Amino acid sequence: MRKHFILLIIAVLMLAPGADAESSEKGLTVKNVRFFSYAAFTRIVFEIDAAAPYVVVKSDNGRSVTLSAYNGPLSVTATMPAVRDGVVKTVELHQESSRATIVVQLDAAAGEVKDFVLRGPDRIVLDIMKGVVAAPVAQAERRKRIVLDPGHGGGKDAGIVTAQGQEKAMTLEIAEAIKRQLLKKNADLAVTLTRERDQALSLDDRAGAANAAGAVLFVSLHAATGAGTRVYIVDPDEGSLAAAPAANKTFLDFDAGNELQERVWGSQQASHTKASGDLGRRLALLLGMPGGEPVQAPLAGLKAIDAAAVVVEVGMGQDRSWVAETVAEGIAAYVREDR
Amino acid sequence: MPGKNRLLPILALVLVAVLCVGALLWWRMRASPPATSAVQPATVTFRLNEPLVITLSVPVDGLLAAVQAPITRQPDTQSLAREALAALFADPIGGQAPVLKDLRLRGVYLDAAGTGYIDLAPVEQREVRASVWEELIALYAMVNTLSQNFEEIRQVRFLVDGREVQTLAGHIELSRKFTKRMDLVKQ
Repeated sequence: MRKHFILLIIAVLMLAPGADAESSEKGLTVKNVRFFSYAAFTRIVFEIDAAAPYVVVKSDNGRSVTLSAYNGPLSVTATMPAVRDGVVKTVELHQESSRATIVVQLDAAAGEVKDFVLRGPDRIVLDIMKGVVAAPVAQAERRKRIVLDPGHGGGKDAGIVTAQGQEKAMTLEIAEAIKRQLLKKNADLAVTLTRERDQALSLDDRAGAANAAGAVLFVSLHAATGAGTRVYIVDPDEGSLAAAPAANKTFLDFDAGNELQERVWGSQQASHTKASGDLGRRLALLLGMPGGEPVQAPLAGLKAIDAAAVVVEVGMGQDRSWVAETVAEGIAAYVREDR
Repeated sequence: MPGKNRLLPILALVLVAVLCVGALLWWRMRASPPATSAVQPATVTFRLNEPLVITLSVPVDGLLAAVQAPITRQPDTQSLAREALAALFADPIGGQAPVLKDLRLRGVYLDAAGTGYIDLAPVEQREVRASVWEELIALYAMVNTLSQNFEEIRQVRFLVDGREVQTLAGHIELSRKFTKRMDLVKQ
């Protein structure tokens, strides 16, 4: 008997009426992996090349879940995402002799694991519910959590590059300075950075980390040439932002196979339009933006943030310590007065 | 009464004839299509390749400025829209603006709902690097150029290499429709 307890032999999902014998013999090709952290569970989405049977196995000790092809090889062309949200510790590709598997290491707050399939494009979805044990983040403190997001990062995305340096380094430097300022003067605040080193993160990774951390406020830092600073908030006009509030309440009610949750992702910012506007105006005034009004723009990095959220774009020629102090002052004042 | 007896069949025949003609007219009126509008839209014909001046929205000093540019007249709005954007990319200032200088125009398409699709491609596959503001201004340079010159184009969508993408330079969401913004235009 194998060590592993087969939790879910799954859905030898003849995924489609179209999943024919040929596709099952070809095995499973995973071409992209994404994750989303929600208040009650973490979702990992494996985008697959074509429908094929798969197996999900939970280990005896319950600390890991393994995804493999039911018949034929598992080939993975995707990069595994960096997940660490209290529910999932890592997602890794394991290669044992000729057999590849994807292993999801679970963290302290992980509970039941569910899996299902979505079509068009074909995806295998793992939902890891938060267990009885509360997530370390939630357990540790009742302080209000600020999430700072140093823009860009990693080998391929340096942001803009000028004689004054790379945007990815500058945003990290300013985020660290804001964090120091906030913690020095505000014992009631906790501060998380979406990245603490030169690391590539997608916009969804950043939003997922902020939402999982329970952020009350999110500031994404970017840079521009010149010496001015601009503050941006999401343009509430046109489109996907309308459906959010009702959808948030039914997050756990949706059926496997319908795509409500995927549609809701990306519209969380809708219920924070006023709060983001208040925060944006406060920062715009303090940073000396003409007119004291933040710029409204369809910002891809903010639409999935479930908290007051702004982008602050700092001029490369600006005094960085002054910007850090000013942003920290604005954040602290906003949290004190508006919350 | 013999005269009266002769008159009655004649009157009956006349009455039947009138009824028949009336019924025929009623049937023809019902069967005929609704009357078309008396006023037909004016059709203006131009010679193709005749010069035409349009207004480009060109990024200048961090805002959009209106610049007049000649283009060649085309047979339809879709081709004209393509000419207009080609003029923006060829403009000595607009074409060298951040973001626009890293892109080339693959095509412009117009659907029946009034959505213009701008299909772009990176020049020599190089990464588009820009600030949030530069990305915003470049996108609205294209949106405003189309929507200010062609009233049929009510909104604009962007594609890169024929596909929907999340952003051009990591900031502005492209999976949505854009309408013109005058607050970005230099007063």
